[in-house]
Amino acid sequence: MKRVWWAAVALLVAGCGVQPTGVTDGGEAPTGVAPGVTLYFVDADGELRPQQRQTGSLGTISEALSLLLLGPGGSGLRTEIASTSTPRVGVTVEPEVIELVTPLTIDDVTPLGIDQIVCTALSTHVQGGGSRSTEVRVRFTLPTPESDEQRTCPLIG
Amino acid sequence: MVAILLIEDDPLVRRGLELALHRHGHDVRTADTGEDGLREFHASAPDLVVLDLMLPGIDGFAVCRRIRAAGETPVIILTARGDDFDVIGGLEAGADDYVVKPAQPTVLDARIRAVLRRGTGTHGGVRVHRDLRIDTTALMVSLHGEQVRLTPTELRLLLTLSRAPGRVFSRQQLLEEVWEHSYIGDSRLVDNCVQRLRAKIEADPAVPEYVQTVRGFGYRFGPV
Amino acid sequence: MTRRLWLRGLRARLLAAFALVTMLGAAAAVWSSAGSASTALVTSYQQQLTQTIDEQIGAVTPQLTYPPDQDALDQLRAAVGTNTLVIYEDLRSVDGADTDLVTDELRSAVRAENRLATQRITVDGKPWLLVGTPIMITAPDGTRTPSGIEVYSVRDLTDVEREIDGLTMSAITTAALALPLSVLAASLAAGSVLRPVRELRDTAGRLAAGDLDARSPPQGADELAELTATINEMAESVQTSIAAMERMQADAKRFAADVSHELRTPLSTLTAVVEILADTTDEMEPDARESAQMAITETHRLVRLVEDLMEVSRFDAGTARLRVEEVDVVGAVRDSLRARGWLDRVELVAPEETLLRLDRRRLDVIVANLVGNALRHGEPPVRVHVSASSEQVWITVTDSGAGLPEHVLPHVFGRFYKADAARTRTPGSGLGLAIALENARLHGGDLTVDNIDRGGGGGARFVLRLPKDPEER
Repeated sequence: MKRVWWAAVALLVAGCGVQPTGVTDGGEAPTGVAPGVTLYFVDADGELRPQQRQTGSLGTISEALSLLLLGPGGSGLRTEIASTSTPRVGVTVEPEVIELVTPLTIDDVTPLGIDQIVCTALSTHVQGGGSRSTEVRVRFTLPTPESDEQRTCPLIG
Repeated sequence: MVAILLIEDDPLVRRGLELALHRHGHDVRTADTGEDGLREFHASAPDLVVLDLMLPGIDGFAVCRRIRAAGETPVIILTARGDDFDVIGGLEAGADDYVVKPAQPTVLDARIRAVLRRGTGTHGGVRVHRDLRIDTTALMVSLHGEQVRLTPTELRLLLTLSRAPGRVFSRQQLLEEVWEHSYIGDSRLVDNCVQRLRAKIEADPAVPEYVQTVRGFGYRFGPV
Repeated sequence: MTRRLWLRGLRARLLAAFALVTMLGAAAAVWSSAGSASTALVTSYQQQLTQTIDEQIGAVTPQLTYPPDQDALDQLRAAVGTNTLVIYEDLRSVDGADTDLVTDELRSAVRAENRLATQRITVDGKPWLLVGTPIMITAPDGTRTPSGIEVYSVRDLTDVEREIDGLTMSAITTAALALPLSVLAASLAAGSVLRPVRELRDTAGRLAAGDLDARSPPQGADELAELTATINEMAESVQTSIAAMERMQADAKRFAADVSHELRTPLSTLTAVVEILADTTDEMEPDARESAQMAITETHRLVRLVEDLMEVSRFDAGTARLRVEEVDVVGAVRDSLRARGWLDRVELVAPEETLLRLDRRRLDVIVANLVGNALRHGEPPVRVHVSASSEQVWITVTDSGAGLPEHVLPHVFGRFYKADAARTRTPGSGLGLAIALENARLHGGDLTVDNIDRGGGGGARFVLRLPKDPEER
């Protein structure tokens, strides 16, 4: 009989307060540090190629795209995006979609050039902790149906 | 020769007692009902009546009351032993004594003689106590000069008590002296007789002067 | 011990059981609700803290120089807040003293798993949440590698605990409120069960005390109502059979009374005539004389028997009445003996005078029966001893015979009981001792019998005890 009483009391006490625990898993660790940013250009065979730029940190998607628009520099790679005097891209990140507002018209880029933009944006997004299944909408300065298309990078995902 | 009237309804008992009393020297007349008994009583004026209480018609109590109303003739009733209803009723109706049935003739004869014995014999003379005058020779009692009619038992009780004024008599003593009962008598006989006597000689029977009660012991005469 | 006694009552046990069950139920409810509520509360608070830290780190990492220098670490630590420790290889950035609480267990888990880890600890009664995480480098293809930067943050959980305590207290209070309600409900339930039980008990008590009219009205249709109905039936049948028995007994007694009454008339005749017969026996032939003597003796015996029967009938009918007067017991006893001519055969040991209020005739009957019995059945000398205390008087009658056999003692006062089957013709009626006992009881006293020496050899001893004041019985 006594034991039953003690058990009841113990049960009651156990319900009170914050109990210590062992180490428990708290999910994915944060990410986002990187020695530089990854840009995508086209090699001699007409294939997409990532290029590492040692910028010291990952930076934002917008910063990465600005670097992309400035061109590959002297590295044997080329770009299929026409040069522009205002290499600045507006970026809006929504849960499933990254919307980019480029200073270009559809005529300033080839399909491969669009892939360059999409892959660079996604790569930065993923390195910063974003999901690889995120899609990218690239908007151009002049109205075109291409602006509404949701795209993915052939090298990522 | 004492003339006795025996009122008893059972013929054999009546005849048996008649025979026995006759052998004791009494002149016995008999009656089998209360009505007959009263008729015979008035016709023959007996010295004493022996009365069975259980009678058809007028019962023994009523007969006893009528005999008492008619005069001072002594009455002895026949009762069942210890039957308080009979004894008390009979004494209240004015009976002088009672005999328990089945009555032994010797006992009945002794009671008859006791009840009829009037004087105490030895003491002659006249005793005067204030308004009460007791003539022990003529056996006459008068109050304020008027004669008081007492039954023989009442008279004997008064004579016994007044023989020694102030002396206390226990009920047992009185039973032995007045009723000539053996050692265990019925003290109610005494109480009943005292009551009747007081009714006749006391100015206020509730506050008696002559026959006084001594609580727990008995009675005494006076002191006046 | 007291508690056990107290719990013996049905009401107390019902109440206790009811209250206990209620309290256990309430406690269980309190425990489980408070438990789950506090768990939910802690979990959500913890998730919120973890998520905040995760977001704070995630917000600054893209701008963070890598490999980081001391400035970068400080920047990261500042973003996470106080009580935070940031490590990269040999570099450390610390803010707040409580970071010492970070356990080795957590550090090794963080390094081994490369995932965010949490741990709750209690130090000096204060609850803490430890959050530790590495910062990962993610390749464009999603591959994650540790960056070597580790962030540890310590968060105080006292507020949560206080909130949980409040929750528990209010739950306990609610449960405590249930106690008086449960006691009330238990009293009502106990009352509804116990009322019929109490009524049954009262009824049974009245039945036991002789009130055979006692019944309990059955209420409802439960087991108690069935029990009540059964008890009522039982009372009914007991009452019926007792009534029948009493009627039979009364009939028998009335019959005895009637018979003796009827016998009295012929006996009156016989009594009257046997005297005449007795006077004339001298003139008879011897045979006739003997016959006449026998008729006389037997008539007297018959008279005595009928008188005793009538006396017993009066006791049975309850019509026997005491005529008490102040009597000197010693004198009365002496008179009894003298009247029967027994004074020289009996040794009377008595004080001078002992006054008592009693019925003189009945005392005489008792003494005559006891002494007559001793003279007839015992051996001389027969002794009568009178003694008195302030409250009672004892009259002891002893003889010097062999005493009464043990098996006879309980039956001595029975009617017509004959100890010796061969000696049936005794002058007594066989009712003498029964009448003596009834007379003693009528006075509020009693009459007992034993042997002087229980082993045998001593005579029989009858003790009559009479109270001094018969009204106080």
